[in-house]
Amino acid sequence: MVCNCDEAEPGTFKDHMLLENKPHLILEGMLLGAYGIKSNHAFIYIRGEFKAGYEIFTQALAQARAAGMVGKNIFGTGYDLEVTVQRGAGAYICGEETGLLNSLEGKRGEPRLKPPFPAIAGLYGMPTVVNNVETLAYLVPVLQKGWEWFAAVGTERSKGYKIVSVSGHVQKPGNYEIPLGTTVREIIEIAGGLRPGRTFAAVQPGGGSSACIFDEHLDWPYDYESMSKAGSMLGSGAFVVFDDTTDFVKAAYNLIRFFAHESCGQCTPCREGGHWLEKVLHRFVQGRGLPGDMEMLLRVSSSITGLNLCALGDSIEPFLKSVLVRFPDRFEARVQGRQVAGVR
Amino acid sequence: MSDRVRNFPLLAAELMPQCEALAAQYEERRSALLPLMHLFQSREGFVSPEAMRFAAGFLDLTPAVVESTVSFYTLFYRKPVGRYVLQVCRGLSCTLGGAEDVMAAFREKLGIGNLQTTDDGLFSYEEVECLASCDRPTCMQVNLEFLYDLTPQTVDGVLAAIRGGTSGVAPLPQTERPGKTWAVRQDTEVSEGEKMPGDTGVPDPNNAGGLGDRTGLIALDRIVNDDAALLGRSRERTVRDASAIDAVIREEDRAHAGH
Ligand SMILES: Cc1cc2nc3c(=O)[nH]c(=O)nc-3n(C[C@H](O)[C@H](O)[C@H](O)COP(=O)(O)O)c2cc1C
Ligand code: SF4
Ligand code: FES
Repeated sequence: MVCNCDEAEPGTFKDHMLLENKPHLILEGMLLGAYGIKSNHAFIYIRGEFKAGYEIFTQALAQARAAGMVGKNIFGTGYDLEVTVQRGAGAYICGEETGLLNSLEGKRGEPRLKPPFPAIAGLYGMPTVVNNVETLAYLVPVLQKGWEWFAAVGTERSKGYKIVSVSGHVQKPGNYEIPLGTTVREIIEIAGGLRPGRTFAAVQPGGGSSACIFDEHLDWPYDYESMSKAGSMLGSGAFVVFDDTTDFVKAAYNLIRFFAHESCGQCTPCREGGHWLEKVLHRFVQGRGLPGDMEMLLRVSSSITGLNLCALGDSIEPFLKSVLVRFPDRFEARVQGRQVAGVR
Repeated sequence: MSDRVRNFPLLAAELMPQCEALAAQYEERRSALLPLMHLFQSREGFVSPEAMRFAAGFLDLTPAVVESTVSFYTLFYRKPVGRYVLQVCRGLSCTLGGAEDVMAAFREKLGIGNLQTTDDGLFSYEEVECLASCDRPTCMQVNLEFLYDLTPQTVDGVLAAIRGGTSGVAPLPQTERPGKTWAVRQDTEVSEGEKMPGDTGVPDPNNAGGLGDRTGLIALDRIVNDDAALLGRSRERTVRDASAIDAVIREEDRAHAGH
């Protein structure tokens, strides 16, 4: 059993917060989860950058060990559970569960071909469950208060609570725990609303890998079904707000550069496609887009999707496509020789 | 530990019990590779060739496998770095919060660019991806300790605190003088439009025929011409990976011949 604390999805910062502030909660969730599946060895894979978090968690683990909650014959039940803390070393792709497992085996963190899925053949070829920090942390209150408590909030199909990491153009960015189904508008308001004098442009509702949603979705419930109906996804729960001052060309360049940088390089569409898009978008950023480039961006990005070993490759297209289709004028204005006055 | 003198055998002997304890945590010893490299880097300031060779012997891996694995991870510095590694977030949320101005201030005050080290060996500077602290832009790490809410105006203060020893962040050990950059594969600096030295734009013979193969997609041909740096990057990677595999095969052949 593995707890995934490699959090590096752009815009997501809930696991980092939980790790530094609630290490015992995560650990307890891991112990319960491991007990639930009768695993005798639990791992937590902590992003290499979270040095303080690693030290905090290691301390919490030592306390739990001293209290007899980890190790042999826990509380005299005959159940043994060892917990190992592993530090990553700088690679977004190690958050992908099979990349994580390879990294945990001391290899390059390259995702594996699936199937077999980790639940069949995971770490050292053994059945392995990989769960996110937040998932395991919620196990504790759910077992304490009962599933009915958790299921009492949310929508018909998306039940319970979710931590949303709100950032970007809001006045009080931060992690907010909301019942699923809270509207997009409400979430923006919870995070302090937009800055005075600004108007809303878009939200990226599920981390760097998700497509943007716009004005018409402001009163939609934030849940799994609605976000996918809106053409996006809830993803990691990272909620990035853009107001009217946003340079969407630069934003697209920024995210594409991220994916190009983090591609592990195994799949040609992801490795090469990401870099092409980065180069072309950089031309736009410099106001040197060429006629036909906009069509090419769409064509190349769509030819990356669906042809890769892991979901990173499929994450390249959504944001770019959503803003390119929505704000073609912003890109058009950066095509060489067509500079319009007043473009930021 | 005297800082500028490296005595690897002594260090390895000292760390041996810790290495054994690390390896004992796993069902398979190889899992200890990343922890071992963290351990040696924390003492030497970088992952030295000696440390990689030691790990290979200790975990019964070939040196090529160890090097290939270590090279996958950006937090393993395979060349010496400055006493303080400054890593500023260039992620989207921080950029919305003004990261570009903060990065410009660092570049100017330090007089160096991305992935470079100051001549005095004090600072190494890198622009990194989202650090999972997007609610407090611009954020950065100094030797992996977080700093938040930076603005161009606070950059001077950060550098002064480090120089004056009041930052509370411990310097990294420095067992060898750093060079200009620690990047073994210098990241293609698209933002500056630089080309890789020696790049000619010749298609990559190792490419399997995807977008990077210029015979594959005519529409992309013209980008290939002015974007040789891009090909250069993937070429270097495939070539290096292939040589690692070669080395493994050679090692194995030798082992078989010995039987
Ligand atoms: C490129 C990529 C990066 C990922 N990064 C993370 C991550 O940092 N943390 C995480 O929990 N899951 C990440 N995932 C998802 C994991 O593969 C896996 O689905 C998740 O850990 C399962 O947890 P859950 O079912 O509890 O949500 C990533 C997936 C991909 C494709
Ligand atoms: S999709 Fe990209 S990141 Fe994922 S395995 Fe393929 S090359 Fe690696
Ligand atoms: S964008 Fe800087 S921490 Fe996420």
